[in-house]
Amino acid sequence: MLRLPRLARVAAVAGLAAAGAGLLAGCGGGAIGQDDPASNGKSFVSGSYATTVYPAAGRPRSPDVTGTSLTGEKISLSGYHGNVLVMNFWGSWCSPCRSEAPSLAALARRYGPAGVRFLGVDIRDNPPAAAAFDRKFRIGYPSLNDPGGTVALAFQSTVPPAGIPTTLVIDRTGHVAARIVGQVSYTTLGKLIRTVLGRPG
Amino acid sequence: MTAAPAKGGPAAPPAQQGAPPPRPPRGGGLTIAGWLRWGWRQLTSMRTALILLFLLALAAVPGSIIPQEGIDPAAVSQYYQAHPTLAPVLDRLGLFSVFGAPWFAAIYLLLFLSLAGCVLPRTVRLAGSARQQPPRAPRHLTRLPMAARYQTAMSPDDALASAAALLKGQRFRLRTGDGWVSAEKGYLREVGNLIFHLALLALLASVGLGGIFGYKANRLLISGQTFANTVTDLDQFRPGRLVTPGDLQPFTMSMTSFQARYVTSGPQRGQPITYAASVRYSAQPGAQDRSYLLRVNAPLKVDGVRVFLIGHGYAPVFKVTDGTGHVVFDQPVPFVPVEQNGLTSEGVIKVPDAEPDQLGFAGVFLPTAVDVGGQLASGFPAPLLPRVSLVSYAGNLGLDSGPAQSVYELSTAHLKALPVAPRPLAPGDSITLPGHRGTLTFTGYRQWISLAITYDPGQVPALLSAILAIAGLLLSFAVRRRRVFVRAAPVPGSTVPGSTVPGSTVVTVGGLARSDAAGGFETEFAELAGQLRRAQDGQAPAAAAPGPADDAVLRNDTLVLDDTELDAAAQAADDADDAADPGPAGGPGGSDPADPGPGAAASPDTESAEAHGPRHVPSAGE
Repeated sequence: MLRLPRLARVAAVAGLAAAGAGLLAGCGGGAIGQDDPASNGKSFVSGSYATTVYPAAGRPRSPDVTGTSLTGEKISLSGYHGNVLVMNFWGSWCSPCRSEAPSLAALARRYGPAGVRFLGVDIRDNPPAAAAFDRKFRIGYPSLNDPGGTVALAFQSTVPPAGIPTTLVIDRTGHVAARIVGQVSYTTLGKLIRTVLGRPG
Repeated sequence: MTAAPAKGGPAAPPAQQGAPPPRPPRGGGLTIAGWLRWGWRQLTSMRTALILLFLLALAAVPGSIIPQEGIDPAAVSQYYQAHPTLAPVLDRLGLFSVFGAPWFAAIYLLLFLSLAGCVLPRTVRLAGSARQQPPRAPRHLTRLPMAARYQTAMSPDDALASAAALLKGQRFRLRTGDGWVSAEKGYLREVGNLIFHLALLALLASVGLGGIFGYKANRLLISGQTFANTVTDLDQFRPGRLVTPGDLQPFTMSMTSFQARYVTSGPQRGQPITYAASVRYSAQPGAQDRSYLLRVNAPLKVDGVRVFLIGHGYAPVFKVTDGTGHVVFDQPVPFVPVEQNGLTSEGVIKVPDAEPDQLGFAGVFLPTAVDVGGQLASGFPAPLLPRVSLVSYAGNLGLDSGPAQSVYELSTAHLKALPVAPRPLAPGDSITLPGHRGTLTFTGYRQWISLAITYDPGQVPALLSAILAIAGLLLSFAVRRRRVFVRAAPVPGSTVPGSTVPGSTVVTVGGLARSDAAGGFETEFAELAGQLRRAQDGQAPAAAAPGPADDAVLRNDTLVLDDTELDAAAQAADDADDAADPGPAGGPGGSDPADPGPGAAASPDTESAEAHGPRHVPSAGE
């Protein structure tokens, strides 16, 4: 883009220096989200569809994050202690997020009476688009507005969201019980929620 | 590489000896192990390593001609648009990601194997060579490329002791025997060689280290935006083998402004002069916010990560109000430059939550709109007269199901174009969409920069290894390994050995430089011989005047001799001395028919100038 010869040299050197990196990393098929050839510059890292369930004794402690919701309320994760919390990192522009939105909205309605709370984290998005998304999919739960990625960053050292969307199930004591990278299904997430509630089956 | 023809020890495989690699024997009898051994020799030969090195350099060429996914994904999309038929072919060949392509990996891994297979055994040999004793003194020192002879009044034993003391004083490594002293100097050459080879291995390991623990990422950042170095906030992420999302350094960065200066007149008009982006960053959550002026070739270094400015462009801001009166979109949309002279940029706007229909727009942004024969084009890269031209669509964007879509592409399969009169929009202008689908307003524009984020823990070790390798190489070039031999014997016919009569002992001094590429050993040898002689004369003031019997031989033909020949000469002389002596490692052996073999040896008693090999130029003293 910047057609400067010096830059080209730097790029070439950087490229060569990283040649090994490219190679060894490249053996695995390159970047996450390079699944289709037309995805050049898709411009976000989509998840690689993996569910991690942590055993009750080995659940990482969720950080306490405080932020502002899309509607301007102040929300703190510690306020959810005592409830099972489903945290979903999403963006209105992300197609797997749109695909899973109806399931999330339905699960939130179904498990609300059992004390399960849902919280979205809207990343790389703008409030008007996010609000339109919530209206369209009739999302009844709040979302933190996180255009700068600080909520995801807070989880970096414990359970880093490894793509968009990522969903975390946090138990009543504030420990992460499960992480789903990629689109969730109604049944899978429902099962995880029941397990964390202590009502499997 | 020291590129010296690999001098195998006695056990060296024949493949290392010379140019034509041996063919595996045809026909029966060759086992699988034999084939494997043959293949391994081929792979680890210097020739194969050089071919692979050349191939690696050649393979890196497309990486600097064709835009690379890992360095500049926007340029790759641009290339796709410019070459719609060629681009998929190149993609299949891995040419948009050369350094990640399997064929590149194959070359690299083979080279790694070849070098390791060549260097490791060599290192062991060099280590042995550096600790080696000097060889036994050959019997016929006058056959050596450099030789001197004189008589002294000292007894042979005293003469040898004095020679040993003098040579030791000059930091020669000594070995003594019956009637001879053998001295060698310049072992630092082997040390340098050893350093070079080990550093080469360390260099390869460092590059591998970067590949395992490093990562590369890209991010497009619009002014006013902030991003965190987390996988979810990156546009592209290429982790090393053992990098997990939790390993990313937790910095955040925002762009406050971007400045570009362009040439405003002359044939270079529109060419960029400088780019700079003012950014603010914080190394970790809660850490102090710092500011930095990010420029081309002036990356931001934060927590071991380097952030490069690699591109820029415009992000027009659009506000969409849908048919129900809700503002459903209000944000900057990055457009990708499709040409450099005027930065004409293309982009798409997706409004998936508009009612009643999803809306999509494909557009062109012209920083400086000019009319060229009825066609709009951009005349200059700076935003002097920004205009946007859009095609509007309504229907199904295909975002609510199916695979992840590129944010730069609009899938028009289930969209229909809306009949909106095409007209360039100036900031503040709106389009009213037919069918009560709402309005779109072009509210302004912002600038974006694209960033390449690289973390390579192998970089510093790689640099240090490279420096060490060069230092070792220089050392091994600068230091000569040279040998001096001294023999002392009673003058033939002298009846009383050890007599103090002047001239009763003949001292022969021989010199041999094993690798005298730079020359200069003649001078050193002449000085040394002179010193030896003076030291021994000094204790015998009545020494006879130099005469014909006192012939000092100093040859001048050594300059044209290469290492191998010198070694061969030494070896031949050694063999003559003692066939059972294993001789110095590194000599190719005395089997060369051109060498004066053991049969040429004269009896010790008749040792004289006449015994010189036929290829030597007679010295002035003869």
